[in-house]
Amino acid sequence: MLTIHNVTKHYDKTEALKDVSITIPGGTCYGLVGPNGAGKSTLIKMITSIIRDYEGKIEFNEKEITDKTKQKLGYVPQEIILEEDISAFSNLQMFGRLYNLKGNSLNHRIKEVLALIGLSDRGKDKVSTFSGGMKRRLNIGCALMHNPDLIIMDEPTVGIDPQSRKYIFKMIEDLKTAGKTVIYASHYMEEVEKLCDYVAFLDRGEMIENGAISELLQQYAIPSIYVKGSGILQDTLEQYGTVSQEDGAFILYTEKALEAMEHIISHCRENRLEVERLELVHPRLEDVFFRLTGSNLRD
Amino acid sequence: MKAIMFVELKKHLQDKGLAFWMLILPILFTVLFISVFTTGDNEAVNQEIIQSIVPGYIVMFVFFIMISMVQVFIKDRDRGMTARLASTPLKSYYYLLGKWLPFTYIVIIQIVVLFLFGKVVYNVSLGQPIILLILSLFITFTVTAIGLAMALTVNTENMGIAITQIIALGGAMLSGLWMPLEMMPDFMQTIAHFLPQYWAHQSFQDAMAGTTQVSELLQTLGVLFAIGAAAFIIAIIRYPYFLKRAVK
Ligand SMILES: Nc1ncnc2c1ncn2[C@@H]1O[C@H](COP(=O)(O)OP(=O)(O)O)[C@@H](O)[C@H]1O
Ligand SMILES: [Mg+2]
Repeated sequence: MLTIHNVTKHYDKTEALKDVSITIPGGTCYGLVGPNGAGKSTLIKMITSIIRDYEGKIEFNEKEITDKTKQKLGYVPQEIILEEDISAFSNLQMFGRLYNLKGNSLNHRIKEVLALIGLSDRGKDKVSTFSGGMKRRLNIGCALMHNPDLIIMDEPTVGIDPQSRKYIFKMIEDLKTAGKTVIYASHYMEEVEKLCDYVAFLDRGEMIENGAISELLQQYAIPSIYVKGSGILQDTLEQYGTVSQEDGAFILYTEKALEAMEHIISHCRENRLEVERLELVHPRLEDVFFRLTGSNLRD
Repeated sequence: MKAIMFVELKKHLQDKGLAFWMLILPILFTVLFISVFTTGDNEAVNQEIIQSIVPGYIVMFVFFIMISMVQVFIKDRDRGMTARLASTPLKSYYYLLGKWLPFTYIVIIQIVVLFLFGKVVYNVSLGQPIILLILSLFITFTVTAIGLAMALTVNTENMGIAITQIIALGGAMLSGLWMPLEMMPDFMQTIAHFLPQYWAHQSFQDAMAGTTQVSELLQTLGVLFAIGAAAFIIAIIRYPYFLKRAVK
């Protein structure tokens, strides 16, 4: 379990984090979500003790983070930080040694991790010859060498091909199955919704809300209906709730979704309007964030 | 620490730029200047000139390791590797040591290779090889300590390269590595006594000729060590600031 108690961090003038408290239960995948500049990376650097001067307290299993605790903690930085002029194998070797792996067990683990990140056949090649996606995977591999209990990933899927993304998702699923705790920072809501059990929303340095994703969806997301057809007017729909337009269709947000659907169907029948699609929309994490901040998270 | 050291050695061994600055260029300079300055017929004078030029260019070119030192540290700082490593159990002073030691190996190898080159190609005498080795170890410490202090102090790579040029070339000129000190004005001869290059060059020549006097050797070793130690202390003082900047 990782607990973040009332942490505040200033960079010269900007206040990057304001009195943030989060408890991350062991064995879960915990999403940190927020737009660029929200303070995700800052918080992660504090957890990994890269940043040390801040107010507040961070504890791992009720203890302060020391060199011994670091042994249980793996960090995947937002930027790709690797030794480019040496092989993938040598990079993993370096990180293994940093965590006191040696000899046969080190070599064995390197092979294991290479397989895990899908680079077994490229292990001997220089990192500088790798594609962005391959480097991203190696970036993650370096954090996994010492088989940590807590893996902290800072936007591990930024700017990569769909295939590598899929690979990374599978790795995270495997880590979850193995009982590891994963902290996953991202500004892609869909990813967090797909991978994580819990989420904390950060915005401009403040933690706005956190909790189990399923509960947050229930609590905040307003059910909505997708309506597409010819001749259906926005005014008609607005008597049931708020309406927004999307690609020639309407999205109607209403607490009484089923009732509204019945009304729409009968309204269309009476007026001989053609309905192309009419369906209940599954509530999204994005909607929760929108509800909480009044702003969208898209790039 | 080994983790860092092995990776650094691996990188250095592949670094063609480093091989060029540390070995190829000094060999080219040595060959060029020897051919320019030994056009006279007097064999004895020519050999004397060679006995001065070979250690002269060794002393001058050991300083070029500083460029590589600056590059390694600034690059690590700016691309986030220094910060990345702070998340691992590696102690920050082992990081420093792991980066520094490989440079000392390179400089030692450089000095040995260049002396052997002088021996094989120009048949310079290496009268007191043990003393030459001791001197080499001390000058290696001095140079890499200055390099470390600079690498942890400068803001940019370019600034580091500029300062290296000043120290290496300016020091070489003022210390009589290019032309005999006796040909230079008095005040310049005085300045020379404050430069490690001057002491190293003098003592190298004595040891090659086999005429080392203990008191002079100790004086040189003392000067080299004092300058190196001072630089090392500066490096230690600068290190926390370097780390702070690396966290950006
Ligand atoms: N080294 C730094 N110096 C000054 N300001 C910084 C630094 N790092 C981050 N910030 C500022 O802190 C805020 C949070 O940044 P960051 O933690 O990187 O956010 P995120 O990872 O969510 O995009 C931003 O306003 C950013 O500009
Ligand atoms: Mg970030």
